[in-house]
Amino acid sequence: MQYLLLIYSDEALREPALLQEITAAHMRLGAELAEAGAMVGGNRLKTSDTATTIRTVGGAKTLHDGPYAETREQLAGYYLVEAPDLDAAIGWGKKIPGGPNYSIEVRPIWPLS
Amino acid sequence: MDAEALLETAVREAGDRIRAALAMRFRDLDMAEEAFGFAALRAVETWRRDGAPRDPAAWLYAVARRRAFDLGRRAQVRERAQHDPPEPTPDPETILMAAFEPIPDERLRLIFICCHPALSPEARIALTLRTLCGLSVERIARAWLTTEVAMQQRLTRAKGKIRDAAIRFEIPGPDQWPERLDAVLATLEIAYAQAYEDAAGLSDAADLAGETLRLSGLLAQLLPDEPEVLGLAAMIRLAESRRPARLDDLGAMTPLSEQDVDLWDAALIAEAAGLLRRAADLGRSGPYQLMATIHVVHAARRETGATAWADIVTLYDILLAVRPSAVAEVNRAVALAEAQGAEQGLTALAAIDAPARLADWLPYQAARAGLCAKAGRVEEAADALRHALALHPAPAERLFLQRRLAELSAA
Repeated sequence: MQYLLLIYSDEALREPALLQEITAAHMRLGAELAEAGAMVGGNRLKTSDTATTIRTVGGAKTLHDGPYAETREQLAGYYLVEAPDLDAAIGWGKKIPGGPNYSIEVRPIWPLS
Repeated sequence: MDAEALLETAVREAGDRIRAALAMRFRDLDMAEEAFGFAALRAVETWRRDGAPRDPAAWLYAVARRRAFDLGRRAQVRERAQHDPPEPTPDPETILMAAFEPIPDERLRLIFICCHPALSPEARIALTLRTLCGLSVERIARAWLTTEVAMQQRLTRAKGKIRDAAIRFEIPGPDQWPERLDAVLATLEIAYAQAYEDAAGLSDAADLAGETLRLSGLLAQLLPDEPEVLGLAAMIRLAESRRPARLDDLGAMTPLSEQDVDLWDAALIAEAAGLLRRAADLGRSGPYQLMATIHVVHAARRETGATAWADIVTLYDILLAVRPSAVAEVNRAVALAEAQGAEQGLTALAAIDAPARLADWLPYQAARAGLCAKAGRVEEAADALRHALALHPAPAERLFLQRRLAELSAA
């Protein structure tokens, strides 16, 4: 069985010492997961102001600047895709099937530097 | 031609294109601006010393591109750009033309590119006006009745998203035009409004009048089955048809109701009527067709000698139901004053639930002055005129406002 662990956090957090501590803790957890053979993958996302939402209403798709903000629909799955730019990623996002009403949030991954 | 004049010509003719080519290549509008500014600064000095280059635009592009590479290397954020092999013969034309086919005009293509649907509608339009129409942030803020700081933040955020989410600056295929069309139309609308504000055509936005006239006509040819495209083209033609009548012999602005109808451009009016007929046949009304229709009622004074103000009020009522805006409410109040009386107009003006910035919007103060004077409220009228004069009107508008103020004082 695989599980997706989702991280929700305060983007306004800026204090360098704390951020450093959190990053170090992530590294430790990553190592621990790897050692246990439990690590499948994980990424840090860029902040929500880089998000674009593809909203499908009655089958019609429109783009919106910003993250998915409504709570009527629940998180149901994810795709991690390699794409040269946002437009290409949105192109894939539009192909993700669903019912008459659903949303896809497209968010860039924070590259490892 | 000396170096400065040569640079001026090159910037005017190719500046937009070069900036857009840089923005497309480096996906960073700030960097494109900065690199272009650097190249322009270098140009005069170098051209004076070494003589003029054969192709000043290509020279500017090459220097700006090199500068952008340097900036990118320094910031270590332009990983994509650095992976690109260096080009031996940079030529902005070739690069741009290779990417563009379906839209047969450069600036229109760039507007479609800039109106990207992953940006908020306001940000798309503001960014396009700033980047491609060269409007100042202050002017764009004024068009939205917001502050310069707020507009600057919106632009900065949009540029940040373009960079961080890697939005592609490429010409969208026809299947993507519809989702960009609203923003393209709004861009042309605001750009034209900026040019229209200045009756004498002396401001930095003046050349946008001819340009939006041309681009809206081209768009109407390109998308002849989009009634709102036809509506916008008609609206701009009707407003522009009055330009020859908008200045008096002394260079002061002449308000619409006092204009000599024989000076209006009959050919433009006829062209607009044809566009509107075609739009009506398509059977889908919208704000641009409504606004154009309001202009048609004004234009009818050429034949009838009178203005059907009650019809104009009704059209504004419909327009406000379809697309509410403080600007339309001000215009409705003026029409209402003509149709029913100055006091009714002033009541409507006072009832506008608008951003605080409305008080610093020149047409609002000019309208208030007109209605107050009509209602015999001399002090309030003078007050509104003084307020309007403090808002940096264009020379022709300034003359008109000063004359009104002098008339009030004399009365």
